[in-house]
Amino acid sequence: MNPRAGWVMSLIAGTLLAQGCAAPAPRQDLLMPTEAQMKLRSFQTRTFDVKNRQLAMRAVITALQDLGFIIERANEPLGLVTAARFAEPNYYDVLGVTVTVRPEGEGRMMIRANAIYNNKPIEDPKPYQNFFATLERSLFITKE
Amino acid sequence: MRPLATGTTKGCLAVGLCLLLQGCPTPYEWRHQDQWDARDQIWLSEESQVKLRAAQSRVFDTTDRLRTLEAVVATMQDLGFMVEVLDEALGIVSGKKFESLERSRFGNDPYYHLYNDKSLLIFTKTYRSWGPFWHRSDLVRFTVTVRKRNESQLVVRASAQFYLRPIEDPVPYQQFFRTLGQALFLQDRLVQ
Amino acid sequence: MPTCLLLCGPLAGCVTHTEPSELFQLTAESQQHRAMQTRLFETRDDVELLSASAAVLQDLGFQVEESVREVGFLRATKERSAREYGQDIGRFFVFLLSLGKLYMPVDLHQKIETSLIARPINPEATRHEVRIVFYRVIWKGDGQADRQYIPPGQQKMEMLRDPGLYQQFFAKLSKAVFLEAFTL
Repeated sequence: MNPRAGWVMSLIAGTLLAQGCAAPAPRQDLLMPTEAQMKLRSFQTRTFDVKNRQLAMRAVITALQDLGFIIERANEPLGLVTAARFAEPNYYDVLGVTVTVRPEGEGRMMIRANAIYNNKPIEDPKPYQNFFATLERSLFITKE
Repeated sequence: MRPLATGTTKGCLAVGLCLLLQGCPTPYEWRHQDQWDARDQIWLSEESQVKLRAAQSRVFDTTDRLRTLEAVVATMQDLGFMVEVLDEALGIVSGKKFESLERSRFGNDPYYHLYNDKSLLIFTKTYRSWGPFWHRSDLVRFTVTVRKRNESQLVVRASAQFYLRPIEDPVPYQQFFRTLGQALFLQDRLVQ
Repeated sequence: MPTCLLLCGPLAGCVTHTEPSELFQLTAESQQHRAMQTRLFETRDDVELLSASAAVLQDLGFQVEESVREVGFLRATKERSAREYGQDIGRFFVFLLSLGKLYMPVDLHQKIETSLIARPINPEATRHEVRIVFYRVIWKGDGQADRQYIPPGQQKMEMLRDPGLYQQFFAKLSKAVFLEAFTL
């Protein structure tokens, strides 16, 4: 082959490659939370007056059990509880929830819940409100 | 020659009848225990509980639970188990290992490794394969509990699951307890 | 008809969707389930309660999968065959009636699992509550509908709500800790 033709062809191929196969550049705000995400976080988070993390975790576990969840995993040092339940009456869908308990100042615990319905995050505030209502009750009973 | 032929025919008929009753399962399915009600597996009969308890338990003349647990962990590691649960206060050790029974037979399936046996969350509902089945078939689970029996003795109980069945044969347990006894320099005794 | 049933199987999940928000609400059954799954023990010794629970579960053929003593949590599992003669026979007749076009997947594997929590219920921690829940997950093998291959692994889940199951567990636990188990 003519060396010049080869050079031109590789140039064309190179241009094509650069245009078609380059990875999309990340958006500047990729790692910046969107407004919707911030709103969601406020639904998912509540702060409670609880002495220690263990007490708060036990209350979280009790609340989840009362709601019919199966406790799957718990990690005391990290303050993490993972639970799931079947979307009864149908037995094909799963609702998963991860709750983290973090100390926030003296005698206060920040509790955050993340719920997933079949691997899709729940963005509706209602389920979180319901969860915290049950948690509040269980914390109240535990404190007595 | 005649009787042999009849024998073969009879054999064929028997196999055919079995196939008919079983609804033509594949060889892989065939390796699984068949039963009338799968929920029976939730419970064990009192009779088999007693029998298993005797085979799976041994008494050791020591009160040193920590040393016993260390010996259990060491023995399990020697046997190639990955220890996943260890609680010295509760006296629980649990581990698992894989016997390549199904994997080698069918080649590599990426889903064999993607099966998460610890969670209910499903990875995908659209792509399904045999991978998780082979994973479960190959999985050997082993749990040991160490509990105080009286002021001078501990009772160690080991139980194993293999190819979706409990191991009920006393011989593997005998071997495990012999090794454990050697590690502890103690004689294992049957629970009376 | 069988084809229709078979096709409806996987779709059933899409038809009877329960709203996720409903699943975070206490229902009339919540209290009932709680009563069935819970017993009280007059003891300070939460370690003994958990250790005995593990021993009872082992006695029933379960393998301990997770233990977090700090929050009184135990999880145990057993994996078993889920094959049933009834399903095999059913599959055979459907196969015959559909003239070999329909080969229904049958239940093959099941995982029977249990999750247990022991916790003190008064500030002095002289009384403990044990709550246990049993459930199972079942997976079907593969099949064939006409020319369409049905891949293996269709998953079905089921909470176990037979009161006898829970009564028997607590009877054994109570025997193991030498304590009476009180209902709520």
